[in-house]
Order: sequence, then C-alpha cells, then structure tokens
Amino acid sequence: MRVDTVFAARKIITMNPSRPSATHVAVHEGRVVAVGSYEEICADAGAIEVDRRFADKILLPGFVEGHSHIMEGIVWTMPYVGAGDRRSPEGLLVQGIRDVEGIIERLREAADKLSDPDTPLFAWGFDPLHIGGQQLTRWHLDQVSTTRPIMVIHASFHISNVNTLILDRAGLLGPIDISGVVVDEDGRPTGELQGIAARFRVFRMLGGNPLSANLTTDDVNRYAASACIQGVTTITDLHSDLPDNTVDLYRAAAERDDFPIRLVPALASASHSPDDGIAKIERLKQENRPKLHFGIVKLVIDGSIQGFTARVRWPGYHNGASNGLWYVAPEELPRIVERYHRAGIQLHIHTNGDEATELALDAIEAAQTAMPRPDHRHTLQHCQMADAALFRRMRALGVCVNLFANHVYYWGDSHYEQTMGPERAHRLNATGTAQRIGVPYAIHSDAPVTPLGPLFTAWCAVNRVSSGGRVLGRETEALTVAQALAGVTIGAAYTLKLDHVVGSIEVGKFADFAVLEEDPFEVVPEGLKDIPVWGTVVGGHVHKAPGE
Amino acid sequence: MIAAQAAIPMTVVGGFLGAGKTTFLNRLISEAEGRYAVLVNDFGAINVDANLIAHHDGTTIALTNGCVCCSVGGGFIEALGGLLDAGGKFDHIIVEASGVGDPWRIAEIALVEPMLRLNATIVLVDAARIEMLLADPQVGATVRSQFERCDVVLLNKIDLIDRLSLERARDVVEQVCSNACVIETSQASMPNLASLHQRPARSPFYAQPCAVDSADHEITFRRWSYQRDGQFDRSRLALALAALPPELLRLKGACRLAGEANSALLQMAGRAWSLTDAGSEESSGIALVGIGTTSLPDRLELDDILDHALA
Repeated sequence: MRVDTVFAARKIITMNPSRPSATHVAVHEGRVVAVGSYEEICADAGAIEVDRRFADKILLPGFVEGHSHIMEGIVWTMPYVGAGDRRSPEGLLVQGIRDVEGIIERLREAADKLSDPDTPLFAWGFDPLHIGGQQLTRWHLDQVSTTRPIMVIHASFHISNVNTLILDRAGLLGPIDISGVVVDEDGRPTGELQGIAARFRVFRMLGGNPLSANLTTDDVNRYAASACIQGVTTITDLHSDLPDNTVDLYRAAAERDDFPIRLVPALASASHSPDDGIAKIERLKQENRPKLHFGIVKLVIDGSIQGFTARVRWPGYHNGASNGLWYVAPEELPRIVERYHRAGIQLHIHTNGDEATELALDAIEAAQTAMPRPDHRHTLQHCQMADAALFRRMRALGVCVNLFANHVYYWGDSHYEQTMGPERAHRLNATGTAQRIGVPYAIHSDAPVTPLGPLFTAWCAVNRVSSGGRVLGRETEALTVAQALAGVTIGAAYTLKLDHVVGSIEVGKFADFAVLEEDPFEVVPEGLKDIPVWGTVVGGHVHKAPGE
Repeated sequence: MIAAQAAIPMTVVGGFLGAGKTTFLNRLISEAEGRYAVLVNDFGAINVDANLIAHHDGTTIALTNGCVCCSVGGGFIEALGGLLDAGGKFDHIIVEASGVGDPWRIAEIALVEPMLRLNATIVLVDAARIEMLLADPQVGATVRSQFERCDVVLLNKIDLIDRLSLERARDVVEQVCSNACVIETSQASMPNLASLHQRPARSPFYAQPCAVDSADHEITFRRWSYQRDGQFDRSRLALALAALPPELLRLKGACRLAGEANSALLQMAGRAWSLTDAGSEESSGIALVGIGTTSLPDRLELDDILDHALA
C-alpha cells in the first residue's frame, strides 16, 4: 500500500456504516487509501511517520453544502447589517444588529472608512421580520448621510432601502405612483424600493449594482474561505448563468492546490432555452476536474414563502395574502423538465410552496412516464411546505429533496403567525417525514440568504426551534444528530451525484475532512452549532480556517 | 422639453405563453420603420430571416435593416442598460415581457427613466384560450394581471375560432381592461408599429399632441389639453392627479414645479404616473395633453382639478 500521509485523530466519524469510526486515515494522491486503527494502517504502510496535528481533534467527512450561492463571496465587500451573527470570510465574528439605531451606527462606521465623499455606501442582510417588524426608512439613513448615496439591501436581495439623496437623484422623491416605490400614509416615499422599475433607475443612477458586477478571483476566494471556516469542502453555486468569465475563474481556482473547495455550479435554466442549456452542459462537462463539477441545471418555479411569492395550495396563505408568482409557466414546465430528463441531465428544482412542489412532481412524473430513466435523482430544492403525500410521490418517482432547515430558525415565527399558520408551520421542512418515508434528503443554508454553516444547519434540523424560541414539530420532524450530520455530508453528496467521491471517509474517496474541536455525538444537541471548526483537509491538503 | 424629446420610446410586448408574442415580434422586426432594438427572452423562437442577419455574436443579432435583437439571458437590467449606454443608436426599444411576467412592471421603467418614454404596452391574448386561462386556478391571476393595465390588446388567433367564441373572448377581455384598445388579429394579419400608429381611431395610446389631432380620433376618444403659465406644487399635484377621473386614459407633457430649476416631464397612464427631470430650464409653464374615453368629463371640470395643484 502506498501512502503519502497518515492523519491521526481523537476520533474519525466516517459516515460509512461499515466502518463508522476510526482513529487513523491514510492518504495517497489526494484520496483515502485506508481508514482504521494505527495497527491496521501501519501494518500495511510500514514505518510511516504519522501526522499528529489532529490528535486531539475530530474528523468528519468534509461538509457538503448542497444549496448555496457564490453571492456569499460577493456580499462581504459590503458591511453586514442583519440580525443574526455571521462569520466573515476572514473568520471574524460579525455581530448581528437587532435595532435600527444599531444599524445606523454600523453604517456610520462604514461611511467613515470611505475616503471619497461621493462613493455610494451599500450594506446587506437587513430583514425587518428579524427585528420585530422595525422598518428602516430614508429618514433613518439620512442620519448616516444626506450627501452620500446609501443603500441597504435586504436579506432577500429583492428589496432595498435608500436614503433621501438617492431618491432625489433618481427622480423618485416627489409624490409618485410607481409599483415598488413604497410610500407612507401621507404619500411620501419611505425609501423602500421593490421591483424592477425602481431597481433599474437607481442602479443606473448609482453607476451599477455591486452584486451583479463581473465575478472576480477575490469573490471566489472569499467564498472558499467562508466554506473552509465552516468545515465545508464541497459547495454548490446553485444558480448561475455561467458566462465565460465565471467559468474561467472557476477553472483557474480549481487548479490551485490552495483552493479549499470542490465547486458544483448549477446552470440557470431561466437564462437558456433547454436546447442551449443541454449543449452548454455538454461543453462545460469537458472542464470537469477534481475540484470543479459541472453537469446540473437549476430550475426556479416560484418565489419565497416569507415574501408571499411562493405558490401555495388551498387554503393559501394563513393571513389571506394572495397567491404567489410563477417563475415558469405551469404548462411550459413539463416540456423543460422532459427535455433535460431525456438528455440525461439532473435537475435541481426550486419549489418553496406546495403548489409548486406538486407541479414539479407532475412534470417529473410525466417525464418518467415518457422516458423511464433509472437514478435520475432530480432534486427538489427548499420544498418547504410538502406534506406526507407529496413525500410519498417523491419516493415513488425517485426524487430527492434538499430541505431548508435554517428556515425553521430564521422565519419559523413568521410562518407560524403569518404565512402558514400553526399546523403547516409545524411540518415546515419536514425532515422527519422524508426520513420515515425514505426520500433521500439533504439540508441546506441557501447562503447568503441564511449563514453558511452545516453544523448550524444540522442544529436547526435537530432542535427545530425558531429565533423567537418557538419549537416547531420537534416530536415528528426533528432529526437525530446522526441523521442531521448525514444530511450535510453523504446525503447532500447523494443529491449532487457525488456520493461516490465525497460525503464519507472511506477508501477510494477524496481525502476531504472537516476538522472539529469537539465530537458532535458528545455535545448536547443544543450545542451542535457551537462546536469550533479548526479547518478542513481537501484532497489531503490541510487548510486551517482563517480567523481570530 | 429637450430631454423629453430625446428620450427613446419604449414599447412593451406581453402575453401569456402561446399567445403569439414571438410572431408579433418577428413582424415588428422585419417591418421596422427605423432602428429598433428588441429585447427578447431567448433567441430560440425568434425567426429572423437569415438574409437579414448582418452579425450574430451569441447575445446580439444585428440586422441589415439597422435593428438589433438582444437576448436578456445575462440579465434584463444589464441588457436594457446596455442599450441606453449605446446612446442615440436606436429609434425605438421594444421589450418582450416573459410569458408569466407582468408587462406593466417593465413599462414602469420608461416612466422613471429619463432616457426613455413609454410608447405603449401591447399584450397579446389567445382568443381561443383566454376564457379558460382566466378561469384557471393556477394561472388565472397571472394572465389577468398581464393585461389589466395595457394600452392595446391584440386579440389573436381569431381565425381559429367561430364568431360566437370571438365575441365571448372579446367580452372577457373587455371586462378585465375596459380602457384598452382591443384589436382582432391572426397570425396572417399581425399589425406592425407603423400600422398601429395609423389607426388612431382605435388606438388611444399615442398621447403625443401630433398624433391626436385627426378629427375622427375624437369620435372614439376625447382629447383634453391643459396649459398654464404657472407652476405646480408637487404635493398638491399628487392629490390632483389622484382626483382625475378614470375615464382619463393618458396624460403627458412638460410642467414647471415650484422651487425647482428644471422643467419636468409628467407621464400618467391609467392611475400610475411619474415626474422625471426634463433637464431643461428653457421651457416655461405647463403644457399637458390628455386622452380619454368618450365619457371623459368636460374640460372645465378637468382644468379645475389641476388648477388646484398650481403653486
């Protein structure tokens, strides 16, 4: 047996049922060549020096984030003003802010750091639902500056708040009646902007949207650093037009030994006809290499539940809001799904509301009937409102699901009180149902919508408690720690059709590990999210997480 | 009014999947009067005559007649922004709304962007399917919202249905948008922009003064012009505009605003309106032109409403 390195650890949790734990793992050419005890490995490997730097640490398979976005690497060019704590790509703890005064204060600090008095100040991460409904108005932002353009982008990325200067320069200040320019009861614009007309005008006036500029190497590196900090070694960019610039950057990054992630970009169906999409995937797959995996396509059917744009079945939204939006025409969906299905491409289908989930299953059923395809693994993404009957259809059709466990914590209270009501809120992101019925599942963060961090995501699925302290469906939908860890390792790898190379520590797979300071099976379930992450190993290369 | 005159007219073409948008767009492109820039969702369906293509680079097709056709694949905002950055290269911008999108939301861009002015929102409706679509629990609301606030409905595919069905289709369309001009079309008889311009008697949406002078226009639509030497107060103007009767379909023109150096362009369509900087200090006073249905109230009554907004 040829061995480059043998790592010793306090415990290696392999997620491989035939050898669940070990103390040593041997690596050769970036892959695992042996897992076991010192005696088992060194009997074969001969006199090899053991790398003992992890001797007091716990190794898990490198975490697999099955639904996140490169945007996580872009947003950190701007100050964060959301309610929950986050880790920056530098590994610094960025405190959440829970009141408008705190937001003003943080924006002032950020403005003070800008030397040019005219440079626009952008910030991100705000959500009034997380701070008890407090609104951020232009009058608040004017307290930061009346001479510098200021824009705060909401956590949803669909809404923003701007100061008076921006409204004035964009011609949106006067009494106005344009949808998306929110006005108060006196008809005065509050500075909240939604929708395309206001976005178009304001970003033109400001000279561009910082979040949709061409991707840079720095953005990709920040994304990788954020992943490393959380123990993630395989990560998606689950909705991309994949222009040449992005593909070039991904390819160059994936060739670097110091690049600590395996990237799995999904081509956005919305920006391609199925024929173009299929041809592009075939082309892109030629670029695949150990740290870059093209091949999947993302299809978005509806909007978000908390934004009331998800398509929900009868009886609709709990508070009576009108039903949401289709992002694909319901009658067009079966045609798109069938084209990709026939081409052998795996689809990742965003469905938040249960009406959208039902429509996606109808389309997959029709495609499977027209052309039965073994192991297609089409995966429903988010799929937050599905009931047991929909999960039974998923199982029958061979569909996987990636559930948005973090939503239970971040928007559980809104779902209970406003969007779904008590009964449906309890089965939000029904991980327990998926487990019982036998639908292959993963759990995810949708970073940067919620923070990247598989241990936090696992904590959400195990504890099912909202940020307001409300327990939602814990008796029936909570996962055990082992199940939750599978949901961020081998389960997520399965939904990406990468379970043969990542997701567990076993012979033949990439030597990708998450290095933890504590054993997830020994901490109390409430402490899962607080386990410190030392860093990762990717293909045998050790990456210590940046940080304090 | 200098900036306002330089603004590029924008027409939004909407309609549910299968209504005939692509056929209509092909018609607009091949019979363009001037240099059109057409933003489409995807090239797949656009069937440009190969003889017309001068250049094709993947996201843009340049045509020998001076038009270009751009795919919005890389993002609608970026694509439209790119056209405006190209300066005065185009005489008209035509935007295809997505089959499930609300064209009015796109039309509003032309109300807030000074480089654009809204020409019209044209929505195609499949006459054979519209009644069924409006009643559909999944898509009814989406379809309805698409033509609730449009200027022109092209009631399409009339050659595929009988007279009775056509009347029913017309009825349901007019119930949703009583103020739009409904034109019956078929694949073989699609209008182009020029022919729509030539039918003022049936088309209320050209609110420019020059387009509404013809005598027969007044038979179907009533025109109202409002001129004052003074200036409006912004807040009172908002109240006054809200008080205008629904029979007024469009209102447009230049006005001065109290305390502001530049003249402003007022555009109102339905109940939505905007004021954009016209960028000129030269014009004085207020000159607005409105167009309404035949039951538009007396001009003195309308004048009185706006007079309340004078500073």
